[in-house]
Amino acid sequence: MAETTGPAADVLPGSDMNAPLLEVEDLRVEFAVRGRRIPAVRGVNFALEQGKTLAVVGESGSGKSVTSQAIMGILDSPPGFVTGGEVRLRGVDLLQQDEETRRTVRGNHIAIVFQDALSALNPVWSVGFQLGELYRVHRGAGRRAAEQKAIELLDQVGIPDAKNRVGHYPHQFSGGMRQRVMIAMALALDPEVLIADEPTTALDVTVQAQIMRLLRRIQDERNMGLILITHDLGVVADVADDVAVMYAGQIVERANIHDVFARPAHPYTKALLRAIPRVDAVGRELEVIPGLPPNPAALPSGCPFHPRCRAADPERCGDEEPPDRQAAEGHLARCHFAEEVYRDER
Amino acid sequence: MGRYVIRRLLQALLTLFITLFLLHYLTALSVQIRGNPALLFFGGERTPDPAMLAQIERLYGLDNTCFDRPGDPCLGPFVERLQNYAAGDFGTTLNGNRDVGELLTIYIPNTLRLFIFSTITLVTLAMVLGTWAARRRGGLIDHSVRGATILIDSVPVFLILLAYVYILAVPLTNWARDIWGAESFMGQVFRPNYNPDYPWTTIIIPGIIVGTVGLATLTRLVRASQLENLGSDFVRTAKAKGLKTGRITVVHVVRNSMIPIVTGVGYTFAFALSGAVLTEGIMGIPGMGRMIFQAVQRQETNLIIVGLTVTAVVVILVTLVVDLLYAVLDPRIRYD
Repeated sequence: MAETTGPAADVLPGSDMNAPLLEVEDLRVEFAVRGRRIPAVRGVNFALEQGKTLAVVGESGSGKSVTSQAIMGILDSPPGFVTGGEVRLRGVDLLQQDEETRRTVRGNHIAIVFQDALSALNPVWSVGFQLGELYRVHRGAGRRAAEQKAIELLDQVGIPDAKNRVGHYPHQFSGGMRQRVMIAMALALDPEVLIADEPTTALDVTVQAQIMRLLRRIQDERNMGLILITHDLGVVADVADDVAVMYAGQIVERANIHDVFARPAHPYTKALLRAIPRVDAVGRELEVIPGLPPNPAALPSGCPFHPRCRAADPERCGDEEPPDRQAAEGHLARCHFAEEVYRDER
Repeated sequence: MGRYVIRRLLQALLTLFITLFLLHYLTALSVQIRGNPALLFFGGERTPDPAMLAQIERLYGLDNTCFDRPGDPCLGPFVERLQNYAAGDFGTTLNGNRDVGELLTIYIPNTLRLFIFSTITLVTLAMVLGTWAARRRGGLIDHSVRGATILIDSVPVFLILLAYVYILAVPLTNWARDIWGAESFMGQVFRPNYNPDYPWTTIIIPGIIVGTVGLATLTRLVRASQLENLGSDFVRTAKAKGLKTGRITVVHVVRNSMIPIVTGVGYTFAFALSGAVLTEGIMGIPGMGRMIFQAVQRQETNLIIVGLTVTAVVVILVTLVVDLLYAVLDPRIRYD
């Protein structure tokens, strides 16, 4: 896959190919709103290996997208600020790099696919221009060569008649095709890590399945690490290797996909799984999680989930913030009763 | 694109035709209701000799009997007028029997100069202030810019002009003359009135004033469209692609922000026409605005029609240019 045009900024200085692909450690992000600091991401930890898929699941406002933007370094600041932690790509802490290095990491090493391709693509430039721009800026390709690469990319993501479509504008594509263009753009420079931020949320169900298949195929072909951000556990089930469940800016449960589905160790994950509509439960009322996600500006004391939790101990959970507990080998949950929940005793 | 251009051209022609007809119809009504303007030729007091009156009426195309029937659209004279315009004949004035086509060659350049200066002022100031306010969103500068432009916008243009003419112009002119001399650029630029020997220099200040007065709308438009684009998803995409800030601004923000701004400039330009009547009146500039104003006062039917026709043509042309620029800037319009 290393068919690069011109000089490639392919190796990050100081990187160690034996180090894990991407490690996020104690990442913290705050937003400054009217003189107040509001925590959006409160100490996130995870690791992503080459060729693996990590699904980050959570309700809106749980900090999934902010985490991905902090990793990319495209957080709007102000108001958003990374206030602590490390984001290590092959051992290099990106947060310590200067802006120029971070810029070359974007697209070259880590790329992102956004949710709504219609607004994420610039309406006044052709898709060919927007794709080719990556080769022109990062690889110094000429207009012709860049367009040729753009056609190849469109072809790879399954856009029919790529040669003619390359000069078309985003509004001339259907929703699914636009999302394919977004994916092509993310793949252009052959990144090692692809972040897909709710890539199928804006699409209808049949197209969702096509896009997920495309992402999986591409990941297999290129052996990338994929971070799949979604609020839909259904999407995760047959794609992900690992799952990280986010709540109130923290990862509350992290484990292998099979473990999470079979034996969740956090009451929140349990409630999420119960809330998935089931075909074999026709006529039964849909389960919901009572209450609303917490306001990051006024988090509940103790465990942020305790006001909505079925298994909460009113005294302990309201006072004491739970640490990460190991419910089983490689299965972490941020709950005082992780082991009991895991054994389905609570 | 081709179909879009043709459609816009046809629309412009149709608008022009309807405008011309309405102008004609309204003035015909005015003749029918208010009475025969040819009487003015005789001072308006004495009862003229019928033969002479008939001759005058023939001379100015007022002899058609449709002018005696209120409500009659007078299509005959309308067609005649269109034919004359097409042949470059704009008729003469009742007062002084001057050729209107010749008057236009004097008046149109002056108004154009006024518009050039006001548009330059308007666009530069609005772009600079709007961008500045957008960058400092919510801060002191943002609020000051928005407050100040609204304040200027709320003061009528003639008040600013009068204040300039009666308070500032004379002391400034005297001061400049003492330093640089009466015949220099600086000695002329602050004059309270137009000087035909310095047609460019003496229109600068009125142009700046007209441009400043229309500032609020365009500044807010620039600010809003820049904010919208700076915070847009595609700018975030551009960042995620690892583009440099400069490239993001030039390639992904400016072109998108230009779309509403171009429309705004078009509107303001058309709007400035009404400002021109007052400005040219107060500053004594012999331009289209003053010409139309005086023509209305003196019941110069022909002059009114010609003057308004010219303004209508200008407004339609500007709108057409704006529409075409729109298509150049935004493919969503081009391929609709």
